[in-house]
Amino acid sequence: MLSAADLLKTLPYFETLGTDAIEHITREVLEFSFARGEVLFLEGESCRGLYVIKSGQVRIFKTSPEGREQVLLVAKPGDSFNDVPVFDGGPNPASASALEESTIYLIPTEVALSLLTDCPIAVSILKLFAVRLRHLTMMVEDLSFRSVVGRMAKLLLDLAVVEDGPSPVRRLTQDEMAAMVGSVRDMIGRALKHIERAGAIKIEGQRIMVVAPEKLREMM
Amino acid sequence: MRGAIPRINLEKCTGCGDCVEWCPTDAVALVNEKAVVVSPDDCYYCTDCEPVCPPGAIRCPFEIILAITQPRAPKEE
Repeated sequence: MLSAADLLKTLPYFETLGTDAIEHITREVLEFSFARGEVLFLEGESCRGLYVIKSGQVRIFKTSPEGREQVLLVAKPGDSFNDVPVFDGGPNPASASALEESTIYLIPTEVALSLLTDCPIAVSILKLFAVRLRHLTMMVEDLSFRSVVGRMAKLLLDLAVVEDGPSPVRRLTQDEMAAMVGSVRDMIGRALKHIERAGAIKIEGQRIMVVAPEKLREMM
Repeated sequence: MRGAIPRINLEKCTGCGDCVEWCPTDAVALVNEKAVVVSPDDCYYCTDCEPVCPPGAIRCPFEIILAITQPRAPKEE
């Protein structure tokens, strides 16, 4: 079996690193073993670092409030995961559990970031990419777990602003709303009627008045 | 205050008349071969004209507003 240094050298992240840098990382790497079904980390927890699979398989997944799961990735030996929070500093965007008995390397966040200290622009660029990737992961969550009504409720909550306030009022056609929530115009019309009947909004001509934000939150 | 009416881009409008035919309140008519909301008071912003317009000349945007309930000022004695 490959040593930690040999395995790390094969990773796309580290393939251009010299022997000294690889040895530095190898010294700092932590090794863990997980039984089949064991959880490595949970979504929302603070990030410990970048994970690399030495052996076994790990499932990266999102969970809906009702307990439904959406698998984002099945990581195999040599794959790395949990990159996003390492670079944007946020919490873990998804959970991970072992699909079979697995041995995992953990490269602590500060060790991974220490490789970039000489190039601050790389840190900025990676942070920007990580923020965008986190946003896309959240879109996967929305599309997988929320109904059109739930997605519309979230959109209305996100966009509603006070009239004459500091932020301009958003003006959207139903086609534009459909594009933003991954649906079609007919569904938007029905969703808006449903939300209005539930008492969360009032539609007055061209104005969609959010009158009960807490009801929108319940629908999400 | 008059209610909102659909916005018609006259440059895009081909004068096909689909919106005129579709409008449930006859608020739209062709004037000089262009669609015009001739009876704005009859338009209740159902937005049905928007998807039937072949060149996409009609837009019916909605404003998304957070309604806040202001506490009433106490009446002066």
